[in-house]
Amino acid sequence: MNIIEIKNLSKSFEEVKAVQDLSLKVKQGELFAFLGINGAGKSTTINIMCGQLSKDAGKIVIDGMDLDTHSAQIKGCLGVVYQSSVLDMPLSVQDNLQSRAALYGIVGDSFKERLNWLCDILEFKDLLKRPVGKLSGGQRRRIDIARALIHKPKILILDEPTTGLDPQTRKILWNVITTLRKTENLTVFLTTHYMEEAAEADYVVIIDSGKISANGTPLQLKNSFTGDYITLYNVTEEAVKQLGTEYEAIRDAYKIFVPNTQAATELIIKHPHIFTDYEITKGKMDDVFLAVTGKQLGGAEK
Amino acid sequence: MKTLSILIKRNTKMFFKDKGMFFTSLITPAILLVLYATFLFNVYKDSFTANIPAGLTLADSFANALAGGQLVSSLLSVSCVTVPFCANFLMVQDKANGSIKDIRISPIKPSVLSVSYYFATLISSLIICLVALCLGLIYLGALGWYLSVADVLMLVFDVILLVFFGTALSSVINFFLNTQGQISAVGTVISAGYGFICGAYMPISSFGEGLQKILMFLPGTYATSMLRNHALNGVLGSMESDNYPLEFINSLKDTLDCNLYFFGTKVPVYAMLTFLAASVIALAGVYILLNSAKKSAKN
Repeated sequence: MNIIEIKNLSKSFEEVKAVQDLSLKVKQGELFAFLGINGAGKSTTINIMCGQLSKDAGKIVIDGMDLDTHSAQIKGCLGVVYQSSVLDMPLSVQDNLQSRAALYGIVGDSFKERLNWLCDILEFKDLLKRPVGKLSGGQRRRIDIARALIHKPKILILDEPTTGLDPQTRKILWNVITTLRKTENLTVFLTTHYMEEAAEADYVVIIDSGKISANGTPLQLKNSFTGDYITLYNVTEEAVKQLGTEYEAIRDAYKIFVPNTQAATELIIKHPHIFTDYEITKGKMDDVFLAVTGKQLGGAEK
Repeated sequence: MKTLSILIKRNTKMFFKDKGMFFTSLITPAILLVLYATFLFNVYKDSFTANIPAGLTLADSFANALAGGQLVSSLLSVSCVTVPFCANFLMVQDKANGSIKDIRISPIKPSVLSVSYYFATLISSLIICLVALCLGLIYLGALGWYLSVADVLMLVFDVILLVFFGTALSSVINFFLNTQGQISAVGTVISAGYGFICGAYMPISSFGEGLQKILMFLPGTYATSMLRNHALNGVLGSMESDNYPLEFINSLKDTLDCNLYFFGTKVPVYAMLTFLAASVIALAGVYILLNSAKKSAKN
C-alpha cells in the first residue's frame, strides 16, 4: 500500500522552478530516501507535504487522504525532525514534550502514557527535568525525535537528521528508527547528505533542479549507474596488467574496475591463478549520486 | 481548552525563563526609577513648594506623598505597556527562530495559537505589574499613607485595564514583525519613547500646546492620568481637608496631569476610562481581523 503518492507536483518561486512535475510513491513501512543537493527541491516538497507551502500544480495523497481537502487530518499523520532543533531551549524536556503533545490534543493521562513509552525507547527518563538548552547535541536530537513521535505519526519525515552528530549518536538514532519501523510499521521519509544512510533505504529518489533524475532501490541504482570493483591482494603489478582491465594501486592491494558483477565473475574464472585472495565490492551511493547529478552532495559540481 | 491552557503555560514560562526578554521588559521602569532616585523626585518636590501661594507652606509629608504618587503612577503607566510588549515578543521570536513553522505542522488551529499568545502576555504582564503595584503601595506607605481602600481598588482596576490595553496594542504591532532585528527596533522605540508620550517621564502639561493636543488623541495619555488621579486622590483630599486653597490644589492637579483638557474641555475620569476600554476592544478587534485576514489569504 502506498502511504504517500505525489503526482505531477510543481512549485515555482517567481522565476525559480523549485519543483517541476514531480511524481513519486512511498510504500507504508518503507525507508524512503529523498536525495538532492541544497536547492534541489527537497525542502520545498516536504513543506508542501506538511501544508506549509501551497503548490502550483499536482496532487498529493497521504494515507489515502487528499492534501487539498484533508490538510488537518494529514498533519496528524506526520512527524517531522528538522536539521536544526526547534525545541524551546529555556524549558525542560518534559515541558517541551507536553506543549508539543497538546498541539495534537494529547493531554493528561494520554500524555503521561506516551511520555513513558518515548522515555523507554529513546532512553531519556533522566533528562526530563533538565532544560533543553543544557543538553548535549546528541541528547537534544533524541528529544527532537521524541517530539516528532509524541503523537505516534504514521510517517516520520527526517530532514537531514544526523548532520553534525557524532557517529555513536547517529547509531543510537538509527537503531531507534529501525526498531520503530519494525514494531510500529513506521514509514520514514529521509533526506540526508550521508550516503551510507541512503544505502540502507528501501527506495531512493534523486532529484536535481526540481526534477527526478533517478529512482530505484539502492541495488538498482548501483547496478545502473556504477560499476563493481575487485580488490585483489597478494599479487604483483605484472600479474594485474595481464588482466587487461583498468586498475588502481592502493596501499597493499590493487583495485580492478569492472562494469558489473557478471564481468567480475568471468574475469575470475578466466584468471583463477591470479585471484587467490580478493573481494568484490559494488559501487557506492556516492558514486551513484555523482553519476546521476554530476554533483557531489554539498553542492560542488564535477 | 486543555490544549489552550498548556500553550498559555508554555508561552508564560518562556517569557519568565528567557532572561533577555524578562529583563528587557523592566528596562523602562528601571530608567524611570533611576531618574526619580537621582533628581526627578527632588525637582518635582521643589516645584510643588515653589508654586505655593505666599504665606502658605506645604507640609513635607504632602510634598513627599505627591512626588511618590507621581513616581508610582508613572512607573505603572509605562510598565503596563512595555511589559506586555516584551512578553508578546515571544510571538515574533517563534516566527524568527522557526518554532512557528514547526508548530503549524501540527493540526492546531491558528486561532488557538493567537489566543494563547494573547492570554500568556496578559498573564505574564499582570503578574509583573500587580507585583509592581504592591511594591509601589509599600513605597507610598513608607512616604506617608493617604490612600483609601477605594483608591487602592481603583489602582488595581487601572493596572488591569492598562495591561489589557498594552496586550492588545502589542498584539497588533507585533503581528507585523518577523525578525529579531525588528524585535530590537520596536523594543527600543517602545522602551525609549512610550514613557515620554504617555506623560510618565514628564507631565504632559509641561509639553508645548501643539504636542499636548496631539497626545490627547492617544489612549496612553488618559491611562497615565487615571493612575495619577487614583494615586494622588488621597493626598489631594487630605490637603483639601487641611484647608489648602482649592486654586492651589487645582493648579497641582493640572501640573500633575490629573486634569486633562481635550481642546479646552476638561475630561472626566469616567470618560478617560471609557476611551481606554473602547481602545482595548477596538485593538482586540483589529487583532482578530488581522488573524482572520491572514487565514483567508493563506486559503
